[in-house]
Amino acid sequence: MLVDEPLSGREGLDSAQTGLAPSEFADLYTEHSRAIYYLALRFLGDPQKAEDATHDVFLKAFRKMDQFRGESSWRTWLYRIAINHCRNLQQSWHDRHLFSNADEAVWENALAGTDSPLRVLETKELGERIQTALDGLPDEYRLLLLLVADAELSYEQVGALTEQSPDAVRGKLHRARKAFAVLFKKSDPLPEHETAIKT
Amino acid sequence: MKQQSKLNPEQQQQQAAEQQARRQPALEFATAEELLRYDLQHTAVPDGIAQRLQKSAGDLPPRPKPAWWKRLWGGNRS
Repeated sequence: MLVDEPLSGREGLDSAQTGLAPSEFADLYTEHSRAIYYLALRFLGDPQKAEDATHDVFLKAFRKMDQFRGESSWRTWLYRIAINHCRNLQQSWHDRHLFSNADEAVWENALAGTDSPLRVLETKELGERIQTALDGLPDEYRLLLLLVADAELSYEQVGALTEQSPDAVRGKLHRARKAFAVLFKKSDPLPEHETAIKT
Repeated sequence: MKQQSKLNPEQQQQQAAEQQARRQPALEFATAEELLRYDLQHTAVPDGIAQRLQKSAGDLPPRPKPAWWKRLWGGNRS
């Protein structure tokens, strides 16, 4: 087997629940699909496109699994494929307005299925605000924030994925956080009940 | 006439949920990435992706066998 890294510490579904036949690839999907889907969802801003992108990224990974040499983690390898894929898609699309084409039902389906109706409502509203704020950021800042939000990635790994030094990541991240906080605050329809970011 | 009577049961339920949501203590996050992490945890991967993948992977043509000289000498030589 070409896979060197143990696929441990899985979160979410087990492979039997995903619908994929049990295999190393199913394990890979189980462990990393949420992170990849989330990146695509918030980077592209459209659930249907994020679904297509996630499918395409994992299919590409499936075809190239035997080329994985273990020089990076599976997560960063998948992120690299996902970032390239999303950037290519973005270059060919001009419909960057996030909610104009998105089907409301698809957004609702993107929320975790086990949540209560109240939690779904809150999370949906919060998700819309996050998306609005992210969409107001330059692509570079948006990508940095999404990558740093993945607790499994170090600044070094984020730097490698975005082709810059960890120090440059830190500097840009500082500005990205501030810009996001301003945009997020602006997106609140009910400022007296706002979900707040301290910084 | 009370406003509630103009609403259908579904709207009333949504209104009640919204009112209850407003009474909830506000969420507070230290940083943007903490908020995004929370959002990530509440985002579900659509089931359809795995099913599509299963089909797409099954539809791929079988990989061609390596050339005889690669099999003889090993695949790592360039």
